[in-house]
Formats: sequence, structure tokens, C-alpha cells
Amino acid sequence: MKALKYLVGAALLVGSSTSALAQTEIYMINCGDGVTGNGPAKHAELIAEWEAANEGYTVNLEYVPWGQCQEKSTTLAAAGNPPALAYMGSRTLKQLALNDLIIPMDLSAEEVAAYAPPVLGTVTYDGQAWGAPVAFSTKALYWNKDLFEAAGLDPETPPTTWEELYDMAKQVQDNTDANGFGLAAASFDNTMHQFLNFVYSNGGAVINDAGEIVFDSENNVQALEFYGRLAEVSQPGPLAYDRAKLRPLFTEGQIAMFISGPWERGLVGDVNWGVAPVPHGPMGDHGTLLITDSLAVFKGSGVEEQARSLAKWLTNAENQMAYDLAAGNTPIYSGTGTEELIAADATWAPFLEIIPDGGPEPFVTDYVGLQDTINEAIQGVVLGEIDAATAVADAAAVLEDYK
Amino acid sequence: MFNTGRDRFFPYMLLLPALALTLVIVAWPLFETFRLSFTDAALKPDENWVGWANYEKIFSGNFPEVILRTFVWMFWSVTLKMVVGIAGAMLLNAAVPGRAFFRVLVMPPWVIPIAIGVFIWGWMYNGQWGMISGVGQLLGIFDGPFEFLAYRDTAFIATIVTDVWIGTPLVTIYLLAAMQSISPDLHEAAWVDGAGRWYRFRRITLPLILPAVATMSLLSSIWTFNSFDIIWILTEGGPRGGTTTMIIDTYKTAISRFRYGEGAARAVLIVLFLSAFAAFYFYLISRATRGGANNDQ
Repeated sequence: MKALKYLVGAALLVGSSTSALAQTEIYMINCGDGVTGNGPAKHAELIAEWEAANEGYTVNLEYVPWGQCQEKSTTLAAAGNPPALAYMGSRTLKQLALNDLIIPMDLSAEEVAAYAPPVLGTVTYDGQAWGAPVAFSTKALYWNKDLFEAAGLDPETPPTTWEELYDMAKQVQDNTDANGFGLAAASFDNTMHQFLNFVYSNGGAVINDAGEIVFDSENNVQALEFYGRLAEVSQPGPLAYDRAKLRPLFTEGQIAMFISGPWERGLVGDVNWGVAPVPHGPMGDHGTLLITDSLAVFKGSGVEEQARSLAKWLTNAENQMAYDLAAGNTPIYSGTGTEELIAADATWAPFLEIIPDGGPEPFVTDYVGLQDTINEAIQGVVLGEIDAATAVADAAAVLEDYK
Repeated sequence: MFNTGRDRFFPYMLLLPALALTLVIVAWPLFETFRLSFTDAALKPDENWVGWANYEKIFSGNFPEVILRTFVWMFWSVTLKMVVGIAGAMLLNAAVPGRAFFRVLVMPPWVIPIAIGVFIWGWMYNGQWGMISGVGQLLGIFDGPFEFLAYRDTAFIATIVTDVWIGTPLVTIYLLAAMQSISPDLHEAAWVDGAGRWYRFRRITLPLILPAVATMSLLSSIWTFNSFDIIWILTEGGPRGGTTTMIIDTYKTAISRFRYGEGAARAVLIVLFLSAFAAFYFYLISRATRGGANNDQ
């Protein structure tokens, strides 16, 4: 009798483990700590709903810190053991696609129409969308109204052109203890991002739709020249500063202006601030760099279709808006949601209304190579070691290897 | 007959686990690195044999400049560590009250996790809030905030200073042990004969600790040559490549840019340089051992 009990127990155990094995796992890598903000909880809720609708599949979601998450996914894929779905900077998608590591998202006409074209442009290569945008940001100019007033400027009038930006920054520099502008020029990705805001505000570009390098242009020479000129009215030693290090300077009242994303609205503390579109150059209109991060479906996991289905579920218009609002991100989808956002908080306007005029992160085959090359040009001009025209021409020649 | 054979092979059988482990974690990755250095391995699934192309590419680019910078960085870092280490060991070896306390005091740079120590230095080098710039302004050395990590020369020096701070305690303790092995009779006899402190240091202490200095210099050279975390945390090799050493360049190429073949070629060069250091180190050790054995006779 006792032996029979053991046999039944063993059979149940085997049965339950077989049933567990019947669940096919979808391994997903997300960036972050998985606890900060309301975004992770929203994603967990949406994933649970997808699992309920897709019997037999379970999502193994792993959060990896920002510094390592993309490198981990790419290295796993290169080693032949890819995650099914991973959070990637959209700038990496072309490189991953060209190396046959990811599959296209196969967006329907309806799904394509839901995105603003510039947003979709950040994930499109060779006519295909290679990722589903899951996080989005635009940039604008923050200014300190009290410092403007102390410098004799109208605190409610931000600069709209580069010349005004320089003149106002100089006036602050000359008449207060603060520096006029916060300039980022460290060896870091957002140095290039900061510079691209000026490129897109002067009608410039790095690479065109045909995949040709168009960096060597008068627009970009002017942008780089101006970026270097801003060093005269910025905090000392801009090469020691990436964008994140400018925030403490702004909150301490040591710089009067800096360019950053909408998240700063909740982080700049007690400063009496305003926010406006990035001032434009002589050859362009207000613009911004559009940065998206995407969910990419890796090839070779064996569950590509389910991973794609999950990615589309998480990023469809309704769920993505719910996630963006929970996480405090710039909404990816425009429409009534964003209008309500601006109506409720006008400081959203410079970040949302600029989207149609924004430009994407350059889509190349070696993003880090591109970043190092452009940063080298920026640093050379900021240090006064090279003139802008030569720096742009040299960089453009190197970029030919990365297109 | 059977017993004799078993006895002969038994020691080798005991070595087998260690040998297998060494093959797996040292020999195989090393072989793979050499093999990869002759391929165009990157993110793509396949790889092609490219012969010496990766090496030609290295030497036609700015890598020779990086090699030179690495040696200059290593030279200054190791030299300063040895000078400060010898001075520190002398002080800690002196008969002063509270000597044990001072010996403990020298340890924090070694005991504090490197990343935390380097972050602290990073803040100290900051122009707006950093202590060094602040003190410099108080003393009238700087007109305003000075960012040490914003310029190639000062960033280069700053990374060396941080490396010296982290590496000196080990040198100090090692040389202190060497100094303590010197018989006090020698110093006493010289003192009785009227020899001064400096004379005794030059004629007794220094010659007797010279083998330890040589050993530590070589080991320190190897560690410093491969030092990654200090530079990466402080500058990531910038500004404008001013602190990019061979190991930083290799990491950027192979890991950040996924150019495994080109990165492997750089790694092979590092292995060759370090092998040369190691060969010299073993030569010195064997010479010292032979010298010791001859003296015993």
C-alpha cells in the first residue's frame, strides 16, 4: 500500500513537471532595475495579460542595469544563445539587422499609420521596421528665470536663435556669478546627442535616407562652430561634463541654461525655470534629436513569432500610452493623449510639438565608432585644437566606414 | 614491473586535473584569441580568415601612438609607486612611537574597493566641487574652477596619480618586509663607524632590498600595463584619446564595437608585451635563486 502511494506520488510529480515543461519560455531582457517608477509594474501587468491570452507560453523577464543590458543581449546573440526579445537602443538596430541577429517587426499598415513618421524613422532600415519603439525622448532648452532677471534679461523670454542664445548666455556670464550655458563635451554618447540637437536645428544631417554620409555640409560646420563658441560662455572644462552632470549645475544656479529631456522637469528642484524649443541656427528651424529605444526580436530563439506578438502587444497604441504615462516618458504615439498632457501641463509642449521637426539618431553599422568620431570632432573644436570645417570634413571621411 | 610503471605515471595523473583546468581556462582562450586575431570575427555569425590584415590595420592606424602612451603611463606610474613606496617603507620601518598605527593607516587605498576609490578621486578632480580645485583657488594657483579631467595632459596626470594612490600600499608593505629582513647589526655597526642616515640607506638598505625592488617593479609593471578600471571610470580613455592605453583601446574595439577579430589582434600584442615582462621577471628570479645557492656554497 505504501509502495502504491509512492508510485502515485511519483506519477503526480512527473505529471506536474511534464505540464511545466509544456510551457514554452520567452526569455526577455529589459533595461533598468525593475523597481524604479511605475513602468516595470505596468509592463508586468501587460505581460501577465499576454500570457493569459497565449496559453503554453511564459515570459521570463530579466531586468539588467542600463550600463550592461544592451551589451548582454548582443553578446548572447553573437554567441548563438540570444534572448527572444530585448530592449535595445534603436540606433543599434541597423547593425543588428545587417549581422542577421534580429528579425523585422512586420508592422501592418494600420500599425505604421499609428506612429508619427519621425518616430518610425528611428527604427526603419531598408524599408523595414526592425524594432517596436518602447521609449522616446525629445530635447528642449531649460532656462533659469531668476538668473535671467539678475542679468538684466526678460525672465519670460528665452532665446529663439543661436545668436540670441550666445548673447543671453554672455549677458548672464558678464553680470552674474553664474555661467551662461551648460555645455556637454565629455567622451560619452550624450555629447553627440547634444550636438545633434544643434545639427537638426540648422537643417543638417549625418546620413540621408539613401544611406549616404552627408555630414560634411555647411549646416554642420556652422553647428560645430557654434558648439565650440558656446564654450566661451559655458562652465569651465566642458570636456569633463556629460549631460547628466549639468543638472546639478543648473539646480545650484551655476548655469543659466542647458538642453535636456522632459525628465528634468521633475528633477531641477527649486529653480524658477522655463522650457522652450532648442534655438535654431541661420540655416534651419527649431529641431531636436529624436531618440527611441525599441523592443527587438532576436533570431534563433525558436519563439520568434511569439516574441514579436509580445512586442506588438506591449507597444500597441493603448498599452504603450498607459506605459508611458506610468513611467513618465514622452508619449510615443501622438493624438488625444498628448493633447491632454499639454493641456494639463504646458511644459510638455516644447517636447511634444517639436516631434515632426525632429531628426533620428544616425542609423549606421558601427554606432560606437560614429559616436567616438563625432565626439572627437566636438572635443577638438571645443578645445580650440582644430577648426570646425576641418573637423567636420575629417569626421565625414571616417564615417564612410560606418554607413 | 607493473608497480614501477604505475609509480612513474602516478605523479602525472595527479597533475591531470590541474592540467585540464589550465587547458580550459588559460590555454584554450589564449589559442582562441590568437585564432580570432586572424579572422574578421564580428557580430555576424560567420567569420573569414583574413591573415595579417588586422595587424596591418592596427599599425596603419593610431595604435603605435597608443602603445607609446601606454608605456609612458606605465613608466611614470610604476616609478612613482616605487619612489613613494620606498619612502613609505622607510618611514614605517623607523623606530617611531605609534609605528603599528601608521602601518595600518597605509592600507585604506588598498582595502577600499577600487571602483569606490576611483569615484572619490573623480569627485576630487571636479572643478566645481572638487577639493583639489578648491584648495588650488584658495592658494591662488587657479583663477577659477579647474577641471582636471577636461584636458589631455591633466587627465593623463590625474589617472597616474590615482593609480599611484591605489598601487602604493602593496609596494610599501612588500618593501617594508624586505627592510625588516635586514639584520639590525649591519646598521648598528655602520652607525658605530660614524655612517650617517643617508649613507646607511645608500650602502646598506638599498643594496639589500634591491632584489625586492626589482621584483616589485616588474610585477607592478605588469599590473599597471593591464590597468583598466581606473582609466575607464575616470575618463573612458578621453578626452580626445588622451588617456587611451592599449587595454582601453582593446576593450573599446572588441567589446564596445563588437570587432572581435581586431580586438583579438590588440589582445595578442598585449600578451606578447606582458610575456616579455614575465620572461624578464623569471630570469631575474632564477638569477637571484642561483646567486643565493652559490652564496650558500
